[in-house]
Formats: sequence, structure tokens, C-alpha cells
Amino acid sequence: MSVSLSLTRRQWVAGAAGATVLAGCANPPGKLAPVSILKAASYSEDLYALMQRIIVEHRLDVRGKRVVLKPNLVEFDQNTVINTHPKMVHAALEAFRAAGAADVRVAEGPGHRRVTLDLADAAGYFSTFQQFESLFTDLNLDEVTKVNLVRPHSKLSSLYLPNTVLGCDLLVSMPKMKTHHWVGATLSMKNLFGLVPGGVYGWPKNVLHWAGIGESIADLHTLFPRTFSIVDGIVGMEGNGPIQGTPRPMGLVVAGADPVAVDATCCRIMHIDPRRVSYLTLAAGEAQLREDLIPQIGEKIASVSAAFALLPSLESIRVVNPAPGS
Amino acid sequence: MKSYSEELLDRQNPDGGWGYGKGGTSWTEPTCYALLALASGEESAPEARQHGLQWLMAGQRSDGGLAPRPGVDESTWVTALSLLMPADLAGGPDRQRAANWLLAQSGRESGFVYRLRLRLLGVRLDPTEQFDGWPWYPQTAAWVAPTALTLLALQKFNRSRSDAQTQKRLDGATGFLLARRCRDGGWNHGSTQALGYDSDSYPETTGVALLALHGSKAPEIGNAIGVAERHLRESHSLEATSWLTLGLLAHGQSPSEVSVMPHQGTVAISLAAIAAAARQGRNLFVS
Repeated sequence: MSVSLSLTRRQWVAGAAGATVLAGCANPPGKLAPVSILKAASYSEDLYALMQRIIVEHRLDVRGKRVVLKPNLVEFDQNTVINTHPKMVHAALEAFRAAGAADVRVAEGPGHRRVTLDLADAAGYFSTFQQFESLFTDLNLDEVTKVNLVRPHSKLSSLYLPNTVLGCDLLVSMPKMKTHHWVGATLSMKNLFGLVPGGVYGWPKNVLHWAGIGESIADLHTLFPRTFSIVDGIVGMEGNGPIQGTPRPMGLVVAGADPVAVDATCCRIMHIDPRRVSYLTLAAGEAQLREDLIPQIGEKIASVSAAFALLPSLESIRVVNPAPGS
Repeated sequence: MKSYSEELLDRQNPDGGWGYGKGGTSWTEPTCYALLALASGEESAPEARQHGLQWLMAGQRSDGGLAPRPGVDESTWVTALSLLMPADLAGGPDRQRAANWLLAQSGRESGFVYRLRLRLLGVRLDPTEQFDGWPWYPQTAAWVAPTALTLLALQKFNRSRSDAQTQKRLDGATGFLLARRCRDGGWNHGSTQALGYDSDSYPETTGVALLALHGSKAPEIGNAIGVAERHLRESHSLEATSWLTLGLLAHGQSPSEVSVMPHQGTVAISLAAIAAAARQGRNLFVS
């Protein structure tokens, strides 16, 4: 499978100042791209081989391409695990370089903290990467292009988005596997909130909240439907995520070319019913979220899943009868 | 090694504005801070300042506000930064129109429709939401940083006018900031709790809020100063330590010099220059 350009990016490259994207196109249920569920006991050197395996298994042809790795950087608290581990991102960077990518950048636009590099430093990125600043783009302060949304799920009619992401050949969403106190789970699709530039919308990107959080996630997915996802589930977060929850060791990396399939699989691993997660049903429709429509590589969901603690207000999204053995 | 002023002059774009990074296209925020930094320094650089002010003036929109950068068709919080320019600088955006735009903005959560909806739903108003602040972007909620910066801007603008309507908004913004303190006494982006769990403060927002409350005699200030001093000891970024220095100086403290990380954008360099001038008694945010 070769890397495809998204509709938005093609239109942007074509120079459309007001690129137009159709949202909410319904298709009959069909097989989604496969999802890898891989064991990774810790943030060790083994991650480098694991990332190479993911690239091979998903036949990602990145030769000569520009790749942007988008981790989840929110805040830093040494007592919990809010951010994507820097070793995961470094291993991905090395793997994409080894696969022939012309350029691999790390890019993020945190939603709360203005001083992004300060946050990245606290989260261990400067000690993990050599010359991290030269590899990093602060998406909050990047150049932007206005992208129009036609038939959006949210109240948004357009969004300004960073050119670094609009102009790349492959966007790789690298979230942490976490619960989220408002939308249930924050995974590869919710991670796209970090693409929305604080330099235009502020810190936090409150315009997305007023437009509807789940609906805005679905709209961002519409804009970046071919995002490749690599989820840091080695140590996830349960309870009052995405910031104040508790570390939950899972020893997993989940990856795939379809963010809906990856996020639905992660939800099942966390004992969350993806059909009760609003942004997944908005993005794909409930029928498309059937487990049998998502081919799996590696571990079976039932053999690795575990019930993540949820806030009482979110108990309604929990899987009622998880598969035997989980 | 270049001085802050030399570095800023080196970064000025041919169009007169400044980007967030060296060589980046011009944005309103770094342009305003760079101009403020140049105005606070000893090197006057009149041509560079005039060129920058002209860039800002060209960006003033028909509604009186300023957009974050050319090509963004919405006036936002950066309008406040244009009002921070020293009044003796000729040129630049029309201050009265900019002030009028700011006074027409408020947090969406303090609007009539939102509060009526809460009342109809039987939801009690959160005590932290009873005061009126300013949003980053129109039609969204008010947050700490844009409220603090607009408070500073309108205080400066209103000093020679003493307009009652403006003073009412300033009093509301002061109440907003005092109500939005975190449990530790400092400030984060403006959410003191998340679903009942207390949130911790950040260095940069603690600094800017403390600076905006420079004339306040509220008892909470003493605790906030202690938090700012702690953040200053623990922070490594030029931007955060500059805001903390400015905030502490504004309350008569003598913040220590700290070592910081080398990576520095235009905003950080400008704030460092402004903070350095403030150490010499010339704080252009409040004077």
C-alpha cells in the first residue's frame, strides 16, 4: 500500500485558498484497513524493530516522502503519564528515515501550554532526540491556510490549519491510549485537535468545544482521513483522563492506516464500546464499527484487553459483556 | 553576542512585521512584542519601529480589531497588544477603534443567552464564571491570558480618559483573574478544576496574571507572589521566566536572574528585552 495524499492536501497543494472538503459521506459497511495489536513490554530499544515491523506490515511506502509525526503533548506531571512517550516517537522517526522518507518531522500544537518547547523538554523530548528543536514544528505558530468544511458535523464552517501538516505526504497520529472525561477515549482521532493552531484560536482551542467536541473530532477526521495511527498503549491512562488520570500499564502498541479502525480497536481493548463513542459513530456510522469488519494483525483483542477505570458519568459507554478471556 | 534589540532588528521582515521565528512571515503578536521591546530599550531604532507600526496599522480591520496575521479574516485577542504600544509612538492602529472592538468582546459564558440557558436548565452558575473576561477568539469563553493582556491594554488606554464603562470592564476582569486562581494560588490557562479535580498553575500564565494585577491590594496576591517565585526557580524557558519576572517586578519584588534554555522565538526574545528594561524601572506594560 502506498501512501496517498488526502483530499484536503491535494486541494491545498493546488493552491485553493478556500479548500473544500465534503463531510459525512455515508458508505455501506465494508472491511476497513487492518489494525496491528503488538506487544511491547516497555519503552526499550525493542521499539525500533517494532516500528520497522509496523511499516512493513502495513506496506507503507514513504520513499522520498515528507512524514509528520504528531505525538500527544498536553501538560507535564511527573506523577502520571499524560504525553506520548518520547522513545515511541524517536523509534518511529528512525524507522521512517530507514524506510527512505525524505523528511521526518515531529509536530504538535498543545492545547493548554503556550511554551511548547518547555513542555517538550519536561516530557523528555530534548533528552531523547539530538537537536530536537531542529526536528520540531510548533503547530500552534505555523503558517496557516483556511480550509472550508462542507456539510460539517460540527458548527464549524471552516478551520485554519497548519501548512506543515497540509503539505506533508503522510501524517502519523501518535496518541497515548487514554480515557477522556468528556468524549470517553482520546486516541488517534482526538489527537488531531493538536493540529488546530493556537496562534489563531488560542490556548485552549475553545472554538472546538463550542462547535461540539465529538463533532469537531469527526470533522478533523474528514479533513485527514488517511492519517496513519500508532498508539502508545505501553502505559496508558485510565480514570479522569486525559490529564488527571492514573497510569495503566498495557504493554501494547496499536497501529493502522484507518484511524476509525484503530480507535475502535483501542476502545475494545479498553472495554469501551466504540458504538457509544460519539465521534466514531459520526465519522463512520455504527454499522462500520463492527469488530468483524476490522482485520487484525498480531494479538487478539480478547487476549490483551482490560477494563480501564471510567468516571461514573461514562459508565454507559463500557462494554457490557466483554469477550471471554478478556 | 547580539543584544536583544540587535537580534530583533535582525529578525524584522521586509514588510515591517516580525514572525514567530526568524524568517517566518509576519504575525501580529510577535510584531507587537518586538515593537514594545524596541520601545523599552535604549536603542531607539526609529525607522524599524515606524515600519513595524505601519505594518500593524495596515492590518487593522474595518471592525477596529486586528487579526492574528494577514489572511485570517477574524479580529482576535491580539487587538489588545496593539493598545500596549507607547502612546508617544506616532502611527500604528487607531487606538479608539481598537479599544471599542475590545470592549464589545466578552466571554461567551457570561453572555445573556448562555446564562439564561443555565437558569432554564436549573444549573447553578459556577462562582468562577460570574466575572466577565476576554476570549482568545470571538464567540468563545474567556481565559486567563487574553483577559490579563486586555486588562493591561485597557488600563493603559483608559489612564488618560477615565471612562466609566471601561472601568467597569476592568473591575470585572480583575475579579475574573482573582476568581480563576488555581488551588496552589497561581494561574493556568483558566480552568481551575476539571470535573472536581484541582488543576495546577503554569509559570507563564501565573506571570502574566500577576502582571495584570499590578495595582491590586487583594489578599490573594501574597500567595500568588510565592507561587511565581517557585515557578521562576523551576522554569527554564525564556518566555515563562520573562513573564514571571515582569509579574514579580510589578508587585515590588526583586526576582533573581535564572538560566534558561537556548531555544528562543521572537516573542520570548521580546519579552526578555521588556523584562530587562523593567528591571531598570521601565515596564512598558504598566507605564
